[in-house]
Amino acid sequence: MRETQGTAPERRAWWRGHVGHILLIWAGITVAGVLFGLFLPPRLMPQPASGTMHEVRLTVIVFTVAAAPVAALVWGIALYSLVVWRHRSSDVPPEDGPPIRGNTTVQVAWLFVSSFLTLFLLVWGLGELQAISAQASPKPLVVDVVGQQWMWTYAYPQDGGVQSATLVLPVGRSILFRVTSKDVVHSFWIPNMGIKIDANPGVTTEVGVTPDQLGVFNVRCAELCGLYHAYMESAVQVVSGSAFTAWVRANGGRVG
Amino acid sequence: MGETATVGDQHLRGGGVMRRLNAFTGVVAGIVAAALGWGISRALMSGPYADDRTISIAMVCWILGFLVGVGAFTGPVRWALGRDLTHADEQFMAGKDQGAFRFFRFTTDHKVIGVQYLVLGMVTFGVGGILALLIRTEAARPTSTFGPATYNAIVGLHGIVMVVATIIMIVGPFGNFVMPIMIGARDMAFPRLNALSFWTLFAAVPVLLSAIFLGGIPTGWSAYAPLADQAPPGMDAFLITIILFVVSSGAGAVNLVTTAVTMRARGMTWNRTPIFVWGVAVTSILGLFVMPAFMASQVLEGLDRTIGTSFYIAARGGSPWLYENLFWLMGHPEVYVILLPAVAAIMEITPVFSRKPLFGFSAAIIGEIGIVTLSVFVWAHHMFTTGWAPALNGPFMLTTELISIPTGLLILVIIGTMWRGRIWTRLPMMFVYAFLWNFIIGGITGIYLSDVPVDYQLHGSLFVTAHFHFTLMGGAMMGALAALCFWFPKMTGRMLDERLGKVSFWITQIGFNITFLAIFYIGLQGEPRRVADYPATFATGNLVATIGAYILAIGMLILLYDVIWSWRHGERATSNPWGAKTLEWQVPTPVPLENFEVLPVVTSDPYGYGEPVQPVAASVATGAGPGSPGLADPGRLTP
Ligand SMILES: [Cu+2]
Repeated sequence: MRETQGTAPERRAWWRGHVGHILLIWAGITVAGVLFGLFLPPRLMPQPASGTMHEVRLTVIVFTVAAAPVAALVWGIALYSLVVWRHRSSDVPPEDGPPIRGNTTVQVAWLFVSSFLTLFLLVWGLGELQAISAQASPKPLVVDVVGQQWMWTYAYPQDGGVQSATLVLPVGRSILFRVTSKDVVHSFWIPNMGIKIDANPGVTTEVGVTPDQLGVFNVRCAELCGLYHAYMESAVQVVSGSAFTAWVRANGGRVG
Repeated sequence: MGETATVGDQHLRGGGVMRRLNAFTGVVAGIVAAALGWGISRALMSGPYADDRTISIAMVCWILGFLVGVGAFTGPVRWALGRDLTHADEQFMAGKDQGAFRFFRFTTDHKVIGVQYLVLGMVTFGVGGILALLIRTEAARPTSTFGPATYNAIVGLHGIVMVVATIIMIVGPFGNFVMPIMIGARDMAFPRLNALSFWTLFAAVPVLLSAIFLGGIPTGWSAYAPLADQAPPGMDAFLITIILFVVSSGAGAVNLVTTAVTMRARGMTWNRTPIFVWGVAVTSILGLFVMPAFMASQVLEGLDRTIGTSFYIAARGGSPWLYENLFWLMGHPEVYVILLPAVAAIMEITPVFSRKPLFGFSAAIIGEIGIVTLSVFVWAHHMFTTGWAPALNGPFMLTTELISIPTGLLILVIIGTMWRGRIWTRLPMMFVYAFLWNFIIGGITGIYLSDVPVDYQLHGSLFVTAHFHFTLMGGAMMGALAALCFWFPKMTGRMLDERLGKVSFWITQIGFNITFLAIFYIGLQGEPRRVADYPATFATGNLVATIGAYILAIGMLILLYDVIWSWRHGERATSNPWGAKTLEWQVPTPVPLENFEVLPVVTSDPYGYGEPVQPVAASVATGAGPGSPGLADPGRLTP
């Protein structure tokens, strides 16, 4: 019987026993998890249109890859226990398992590794925040964003106060959004640029980004804001610097 | 009927009114009180707040009327009249010799209350589940079926109904029924308070469901101000429910903690106390600290709505950030209030079905206490994108990520217990495996959300929805289902049919994973939460999620049928069908009114699987006969 294997004194090399088998399963699941992490999430997420979104996408990939061995270990042991240590009858197992009440080495190692992984997540996150804020220039193009039920309006205070119902941005220039709301809480989200900030009544919140792709992207409200929340979306047009200047002039502003 | 004769005799000796009160008289009294309150305030009030005031007053009157009518104040009233309860009165209140009718009274026996919670919990899950199906039906195709007004109302209602259901799903039924027996007590520390906390919750359910007829809760369950100020009177139903729920769960938590601390059997030192008792106690302490913040957030909201204060109204000096902070001060610890008892139940069940001691009892306790402690320092990770305190985003990222260390420790305890065990894959153990699969996915996706820049992208998207369904439904609810299958024989006296249970298990797991993996998919693609309608990009993922949801519902219906059928017709359970070592399995089934004839004395922890029994070689492995309650295993227990 398989069940008795565990209690028999084992003199085989460790890699030929339970540990070795589980390591093999672990390696298999880890490889699958890493491949999954490398290929699927980046294909699902919106195409990056800013450096910020590149960082976000990279982080999702790195975290998936880092998490794969952890998940593989838990699932590997669970799977192995189901196949090898399973008592195949619906009656109470006639004999108990070995009375192992803990293992200091394993517990300390587990704590050490999980602390190390946590430290890695933290350091990675702080580095990423640093990289994102390094992309902002000290003299950004300011855009005032106002949310209201259920639309966004934009103003360009540095460009003679141009007002617009659509968002137009020059490519490659650092932008600072100053966001507020006329009524309830909204959330200003450009999925392709990886930025989101709440529009709160009574205060102004800020978020910066540098668009690096020409094109038309979605602007969404990401906080339930009443009846037509689902329809509170519009577009952002990222255009060349000269096209932006022309657009500002055409709307009665002067480029600041 | 024998009962009637007894009741009549008692009546002659006084206390007749008390003996006539039950849930039915409570409902009648509640409706009368609500109608009076509504009529009087309607006649007296006018002005902009009149509607909200009238409805709120009627609801409060319903609660008070119901509690008076159900007999919740019998004890204090009798005491005030100088006629304190006699022993016969106490026995009557505990439900002695009343048959099934005791389930419809203000009964103080913890076992009755546990069963009441179980049924109320299943009804609440049923309502929440139907609402979930409506949500998925609406979202099946990219056009609006019910229209955004109905959809928004349903989303908030589904959220809060499920939050209430998941918070009570373990401490309610199993904390009440099992925990006192597990520690060798005859009842909870405060039996009447226990009944009060159940009937307060019971009275809150119709208030919450009345929201359906009062415009719903079109704000999501988080009910952010100032959107909540615009909401119809369904919002008043919401906030009164929350206030009642916090009172109910606070009373319950005080009781559970006091019971666990003071009423353990002789010899049951803390390191011999079962891990489930630890889990329930530690969670209750956490709940006591954090739930009042929820109540405070809703009291202020109620004042804004009914008397014109402006705590959350920016134009008059208030701040939506105040609401968000109060809400999440409760909101994040609350997920651990849901999760921890579930993990504790799983850690209690795994040794039984692995036939091995718990791997690292102290690690389990350190893990639980670590989670509880850290959980009150992480709330603002829900507020990274609010702009409230950008400088604190880094520190809150740190605390949030730190919590994965104690959580990982609990996972080690579970898989370490399985290691080289005799894995007995009965239904409760199957749910342990389902927990490991689902919860790892839920936990890992939580790590993305703890990262500030990634959260800037994913916050408010369906990715978050999928993440917390994987942790709370795929994780915590698997613990609750494991607990249900495990303790079902003790609570009902019958075995749960496993053939049907396994069919339900597989359908549920497959449906759940299809649904929420698909929701991860559309969340990563960038679909926001709580939207009635969406662009065609998200159509495929949404359709798959809806199909999964219907599969899940079929699985759940089979489980419900199985529970009802087995409760009535299942095979009679022996006192210890699992060969478990905790005390609740050493008393007869059905459990006698006072649990133990002779209070047990405990000489070891309940995890001695595979260890030589000492000092007496006991041969009783599968439980006590009805004649020897609490003395199944002379090696562990001496009278
Ligand atoms: Cu909005």
